[in-house]
Amino acid sequence: MIEVLWHGRGGQGAFTAARLLGAAASLDDKRYALAFPSFGPERRGAPMRAFTKIDTVQIGDRSAVSKADFVIYLDGTLLAPDWERELKPGGICLVNTADASDDPRLLAIDADGLATELLGRPIPNTVFLGALAQLADCVDRESVEEAIRQYMPAKLHEANIKVVERAIALVQQAEVVGHEEAAAGESAGQPGAAAETVTGLHRSAHSSGAHMPQLFATVPEPSAYADTTCYAAGYLTQVNAGWRNVRPVLNADACTGCLQCYLYCPDGAIFKVSGQNKAGVSVDIDLDFCKGCGVCAAACKFDALSMAPETNAKEA
Amino acid sequence: MALNAKTLPDDEFFFGHKACAGCGGSLAVRAALKVLDPNAVAALPAGCMSAVGFNFPQLSFANNAMITPFAATASVLTGIEAGLRAQGIKPDDCTVVGFAGDGGTADIGLQALSGAIDRNDDVLYICYDNEAYMNTGIQKSSLTPFGAKTTTTPAGRNAHGCLTQKKNVFEIVAAHGIPYAATASVGYLPDFLRKLERARDIRGTRFIHVIAPCPTGWGCPEADMVDVARDIVDCGLWYLAEYEGPQLSGVPGGQFKLSRNPREFASVEAYLRRQGRFRALTNDEIAQVEAGRDAKWEQIRRDWTA
Repeated sequence: MIEVLWHGRGGQGAFTAARLLGAAASLDDKRYALAFPSFGPERRGAPMRAFTKIDTVQIGDRSAVSKADFVIYLDGTLLAPDWERELKPGGICLVNTADASDDPRLLAIDADGLATELLGRPIPNTVFLGALAQLADCVDRESVEEAIRQYMPAKLHEANIKVVERAIALVQQAEVVGHEEAAAGESAGQPGAAAETVTGLHRSAHSSGAHMPQLFATVPEPSAYADTTCYAAGYLTQVNAGWRNVRPVLNADACTGCLQCYLYCPDGAIFKVSGQNKAGVSVDIDLDFCKGCGVCAAACKFDALSMAPETNAKEA
Repeated sequence: MALNAKTLPDDEFFFGHKACAGCGGSLAVRAALKVLDPNAVAALPAGCMSAVGFNFPQLSFANNAMITPFAATASVLTGIEAGLRAQGIKPDDCTVVGFAGDGGTADIGLQALSGAIDRNDDVLYICYDNEAYMNTGIQKSSLTPFGAKTTTTPAGRNAHGCLTQKKNVFEIVAAHGIPYAATASVGYLPDFLRKLERARDIRGTRFIHVIAPCPTGWGCPEADMVDVARDIVDCGLWYLAEYEGPQLSGVPGGQFKLSRNPREFASVEAYLRRQGRFRALTNDEIAQVEAGRDAKWEQIRRDWTA
């Protein structure tokens, strides 16, 4: 069975791509396919997953894919240090990023760039459909294009077929380069260290004494709660930082301490600190829980807050 | 003491939740819990705020909070308040507060709300109104305004969105003779904070109806959420008002008060056109919305200003 695991954000079309891939594969009467998404009650912009399974016999296993032949990241910021855990031996991981990777198992494709050029919007899903048409044996250019014609609204056909063709060409190019590099020497891709454990909020040092939910490194064992319906209030186990493509950046010199950003932040991710200005108060941003909505920058009348792309901010 | 950004406590009782970026409802809940004391007990029916606040093991309320059956927000509030009192464990500064959406209030929970007001139970009911069933993917509720596109009132060749008018929940609640009711908007937080403080300090049933834009369902940029919540007040399609029942105001039948009486309205057309959900409206329909606004304000100004 060929298993494909799609990582994306709500709204990027991961499930659409998973379905189109299955549809393309099952155009051949000898193949069966299954596609389904997995997401919690989270919202637009939140990380979600989708799965495609393809086989020559009917597929009975409807459970989520934990190890895949192809793992696809529609958003490069979702790539975790332990990404290879989800990869079968010989599998390939495709990532939407403009930065090249040293690891031969990681194929970087600037899908946002390509989609923006051809569709006018950074919707990366069909780029990866094209990449798979080149990389996977069970689909090819014709079947992927036919799936687009059958399952997408007519007005999207032409542009997305163009996307697929360009993506195939991109991957062909990358494969040539990859073979040359593989011949030059073997890569020493070591598994990264396990994700570090979080023990407290970034801000707790600032607003000590504030009553608020705390972040814990350990997830409570469900069996420990089997005999109660009551759970600890304010118990956080996950940060929301992965939702963000832009982040607020504070220019402390321009901040007057009016605190409008603090007041209107829907997530409470902005907190008060002492400031050098006349008011004696300024703010700091809890980037562990900021979703990058930009309400704070819109609320700031003094241009002390601006939104910067996450990719640039990381380098700074 | 009037609460503002400087005097609001640093505590965050609704934090780490999974609401969409730029969610108006989560801002309403965050602001309300900051005003109420840590001893506030919250109850939430099915809706966005319960879906995003209780993601076991991620529990985003720092105070006591629980999920209620959809129709039973007000009944559960009644039960919590009575239970705490019967056990002798209700602190003096304990507000029993409910946060229900527009559907959970005006459609599904209206009967329970009416019952609680009838019994005058000591609870605070907050309706955060994002004008549709956003949690399940944008279906029309009875608080969806005329012309708004939802998945159950799609814009087509003949109809351009919701065909019905927004139900007047504030006046329905006031007609019960409730001790205190108010309308608010997350775009005017100081006004909302003041009303929360008032409601906190009044005994008996209190009701606040707060407009909370949903960028996902309204089709506007996330960063514009607060501005849209201001715009709806400025253009006159929402009003900021208070109602004090006979026991509080001493006036038979109670008394309405406008918190904000704009001398001039901002453009209704600009407010509607900035949102994707009103995209299909014709100029005639916009004129109709504007005429409806003028008629409503004529009545408000006649009856509510002393």
